[in-house]
Amino acid sequence: MLKLDALTYHHTNGQSQIYEFSMHSKTGQITGITGQSGSGKSTLLDLIAGFLLPHSGSLTWNDKDLTPLPPEARPVTILFQNDNLFDHLSAEKNIAIGINTSLRLSAGETKKVRQALNDTGLEGFGARRAGSLSGGEQQRVALARALVRDTPVLLLDEPFSALDGETRATMLDLVGEIAVKYHRTVLMVTHDERDCSAIADQHFTLSNGKLHRV
Amino acid sequence: MSSFSPLRRFGISFWPGLAVGAALLCLAGTIFAQIVILPQTTTVSAALDAQIWSILRFTLFQAALSTLLSIGLGTALAWSLFHQRRFPGRGALISLLSSTLVLPTLVAVLGLVTVFGRNGWLNDLAEALSGHSFGAFLYGLTGILVAHVYFNASFAVRGLLHRLEAIPAEKFKLARSLGLTPWQRFKLVEWPALKGTLPSMASTIFLLCFTSFAIVLTLGGSPKYNTLEVAIYEAVKFDFDLLRALKLALAQLAVCAFLVVVASGLRASSSAIAQARTPSIWGEPFGARCAQLGITGFCAIAFLAPLAAVLIDGLQADFTKLFAEATFRRALFTSLVLASASSVFTIAIALALGFARRNLSVPGRIPASWWTPVVSRVLAFSGTLYLAIPSLVLGLGFFLIARQFAGPLNFWAVIALLCANVLMALPFSLAILVPAMEKTALRFDKLCFSMGIRGIARWRLAEWPFLRADLGYVAALAFCFSLGDLGVIALFGNQDFATLPWLLYQKMGSYRTHDAAGIALILLALTITVFALVPRVFAGGRDAET
Repeated sequence: MLKLDALTYHHTNGQSQIYEFSMHSKTGQITGITGQSGSGKSTLLDLIAGFLLPHSGSLTWNDKDLTPLPPEARPVTILFQNDNLFDHLSAEKNIAIGINTSLRLSAGETKKVRQALNDTGLEGFGARRAGSLSGGEQQRVALARALVRDTPVLLLDEPFSALDGETRATMLDLVGEIAVKYHRTVLMVTHDERDCSAIADQHFTLSNGKLHRV
Repeated sequence: MSSFSPLRRFGISFWPGLAVGAALLCLAGTIFAQIVILPQTTTVSAALDAQIWSILRFTLFQAALSTLLSIGLGTALAWSLFHQRRFPGRGALISLLSSTLVLPTLVAVLGLVTVFGRNGWLNDLAEALSGHSFGAFLYGLTGILVAHVYFNASFAVRGLLHRLEAIPAEKFKLARSLGLTPWQRFKLVEWPALKGTLPSMASTIFLLCFTSFAIVLTLGGSPKYNTLEVAIYEAVKFDFDLLRALKLALAQLAVCAFLVVVASGLRASSSAIAQARTPSIWGEPFGARCAQLGITGFCAIAFLAPLAAVLIDGLQADFTKLFAEATFRRALFTSLVLASASSVFTIAIALALGFARRNLSVPGRIPASWWTPVVSRVLAFSGTLYLAIPSLVLGLGFFLIARQFAGPLNFWAVIALLCANVLMALPFSLAILVPAMEKTALRFDKLCFSMGIRGIARWRLAEWPFLRADLGYVAALAFCFSLGDLGVIALFGNQDFATLPWLLYQKMGSYRTHDAAGIALILLALTITVFALVPRVFAGGRDAET
């Protein structure tokens, strides 16, 4: 279980703002978080992913304290709205880098990459350069990499908001399937409440620096 | 003929620019004719002798090596500065590195000699610590490379740092969360961002080193290390061998024209906008941090020490004696007048060319027609003539004109200096002004057209408030370029007509080191003051955002 208990962060850039996050999410559960621009959605994900350090409170995964761990050591994969891929590498290599950053894979690991391509509907796209893929295909590659990384928590920072309606719905369905099939705990921040109602098991809104259950 | 209706509408902002572009091309044609066509055509078209080939080979070799070293060090320093955001004095160091563009060449050379010369600080330190010195390594090829890297690595840092800062923060978060090593991060995240800008940056640096004059003149040390520019200077000034000067100028023109054509195909990738980012809370791995701090510290010392040397030595000069010299007062006056005039002409020409160019580049103004690409190329080429016709070649052209026409040589010297200085500042000025002018047009065209705001009213409401800061920067740039230039003046300078860099060179040559240090400090102080003050005066405390 991912647990945030009075996780506090004091934003000092520009306007001063204090955030205090408390919530928990069970294994395999999808949590949707909505809020207006600047409400602190990305700050919340940055704290969980390890890009920001909290000033107080606790952040645990299955009772293990995550706060002293650097981003690469946390059981977390994050997907951004843009820039999830290295454009000059192929889709397959972008996925493989989630297993081994030097891109030297064993036969078993290569098979795992192919499986992830299949699971995300990218059969035949492995050799394509990431920069030549459409927005939706790029996000599928990023999702496939999240699968091969085997991290139990998947953080989605509005990754589908730049996609058209149909592609967005397909991607949300895919996230739902992955959460069930791979037992991922998913935290999805979005400014569109329809995304939450489509797949989320629980829904919070963020306002005045705090999470409120809907 | 529908496109001629908008032409009438924009004529007031189109014809002056076209006239200026045509005038600049005529100037280039006249210089070209002086060098290539008019004098003894058959002799000039004869094969270049072995000595000229050898000079050409060395010029290309030192330019290539200087470019390689400048890009290598510039990349390492930009990478280090990017990752060491808390390095003490980082902001000031970046500002100083940016200012090398306007730093008078001879001032930096004097500083380099004080630090790295035979009796310089480095040798004194080495003697004191180990009893051995490095000797006179700062002359010949090493000296040329050190000085070229000093200027051009600093120039490269600014652009490369800008590219690194434009990488989306998400890329670095992704690299961090995947656990990439600093080398893997460089290969996958930073190098792809840098490599788009390297070919155009390298071609610019290569051209600057290929046409370098003052550095080679002062640090070359022997004819073995002459570049084409210095060989032209020596042929005219010392041997009065105009035929040889013409052959050298022809070789210089041919190579420069080829390089400009190649360089124009190497455009930098689309403009980069710095991303707001907070420093990584986890810092860099120990090895990378040590490398970054080492590179930044070394470069900061190597860059600042020559400037500190100019300051320390300069303060020991006898300024009362210096100001009592009539030659110095004349040189100071001439330099200030020429720099001010260059500044005014550069702004006027850049604005005229800029207004004409944006009529063709901004959608909704003059629609594309058969003649628009031609005019567009003419306008673009006329603004970058300096790259194809270096100042010594330009000076030689005017020197030949002066021999044909009556009138005092000093009159032609003033014209040659003004032309060279304006042409030198023009490519940089256009690179700054044209994008800003296009932005104001895109933003205000519809509003101004619908309300009938044009002419002076448009300038006052929709141009000046948004261009004033850039115009101030351009004015300072042109002033400082002119103030520090030792190019054309090397051909025309004499006791009656001198500028500060020419006088500094004379003092250095006659070993009047205290006087030279004093002049160098005055040049440095003037450059820093103008570069710091003029843009602020133009901006007037108000910074309108386009």
